Amino acid sequence: MNLDWSIIPASAGALAQGALITIALTVLTMAIAVPCGIVVALLRESRFTPVAFLATCFVELFRNLPIILVVYWAFYVMPVVLDLSFSPFVTGLVALCLNNTAYNSETFRSGIRSIRKGQTEAALAMGMSEGEAFRKIVLPQAWRRVLPVLATTWVTLFKDTSLVSVIAVGDLAHTAMQIRSQTFRVIEMLTAMAAIYWLLGYPQAKLADWIHKKFGVTE
Amino acid sequence: MTLVTAAAVSESGSATVLEYRNVRKLYGAFVALNDVSMEVKRGQVVCLIGPSGSGKSTLLRCTNALETIDGGEILFDGVPLPKDKAAIRKVRQRMGMVFQNFELFPHKTAVENITMGPSTVLGLSDEAARERAQVLLKKVGLADKANNYPANLSGGQQQRVAIARALAMEPEVMLFDEPTSALDPETIGEVLNVMKALADDGMTMIVVTHEMTFARRVADHVVVFERGEIIEQGPPQQIFEAPLVARTRDFLSHLGWNA
Repeated sequence: MNLDWSIIPASAGALAQGALITIALTVLTMAIAVPCGIVVALLRESRFTPVAFLATCFVELFRNLPIILVVYWAFYVMPVVLDLSFSPFVTGLVALCLNNTAYNSETFRSGIRSIRKGQTEAALAMGMSEGEAFRKIVLPQAWRRVLPVLATTWVTLFKDTSLVSVIAVGDLAHTAMQIRSQTFRVIEMLTAMAAIYWLLGYPQAKLADWIHKKFGVTE
Repeated sequence: MTLVTAAAVSESGSATVLEYRNVRKLYGAFVALNDVSMEVKRGQVVCLIGPSGSGKSTLLRCTNALETIDGGEILFDGVPLPKDKAAIRKVRQRMGMVFQNFELFPHKTAVENITMGPSTVLGLSDEAARERAQVLLKKVGLADKANNYPANLSGGQQQRVAIARALAMEPEVMLFDEPTSALDPETIGEVLNVMKALADDGMTMIVVTHEMTFARRVADHVVVFERGEIIEQGPPQQIFEAPLVARTRDFLSHLGWNA
């Protein structure tokens, strides 16, 4: 077998840029999908049934579609049907956010539901409004409980961002594949890609483990 | 010891703080409260006793509108409980509530649990709220536990913090919903002592309890519930020594109390 590892240092700059885009996609997706997840969770719990129904439809739709399909949909269908067209990066971001918002809303919903009703009642009994009781009493406790789940979601998302490479977002996966097809250095590039994903992903997974340990259910 | 920091003075100054007129509460087809009428006067300690599920706690929860009633009226300081949310919040600020399971906020320290109400609802400055909390913690005997989280307090200590938390709003009435039912026997006394001191200070209190000795010693008026109805009410001497209703005697003798 004829291996030429020099292709790796030669493409270091491009790979680094790809890795940065992967990280940016992960961070931005979570930054958007966490608050959106809380909102959708609240809408699902709404006493106004049509709102709750629509929120449920949203969650069940995007939770049960493969991400790659949502990515294709955002790229090919969204511009035609909704007349919305963005750069590949933003298109990929939209797809990841739709999927992650659905997941996060379920995470938050179970977290919020796990807080005893008595906690809200104690807050109401001292004269707080329902909004205050939720923000000051329920959400902080729910947040702590869902943090380990969010950490796991984060780690999964980091790897799943590679799916947006199919619409030519210049993320790590796409960049590596581009170099591969230009240089025919398949083994070298796949190995480099694996190494970079692993090296970046491992500390995140360890951090998630630590969060699990620190914030795992206590009471 | 003085537990009431501010004088519990009503807005109208009337002697009757709470009046229940033919109160009815349904859960579906289940009648939780039926035709309940009673009165709580300023400075009185009223104990609600009776078997589990007889409606005592429900009445307490209706008093500060955690539950809505389906018939009759509850008058607080001469005014029927409002329907409007903002008005209900105003009423709740004037009532303190202590729960069976304490319901301290586990993500807040003891002192933060107490400052929460005054700073969020009454708009007190952090400093003033903290000062008030320290005074109250001292009064319930927990000055040294200010920075403990609830998880690091015993049940009795948690309930004393919960009482301090309710008092921090300077309520006119304190509602106790089986405050010692979730406690280990050895910590019940410390909570009852705090409640006794509060009563001695002249706080108006409604106490749902299974502690008959406490009711006998501290109550001014005892109300006996059975299946959502009041079967007898009167001074503790009557209820515990010469009940007029046979079912009151039956209930008490089940608890090992012989009139």
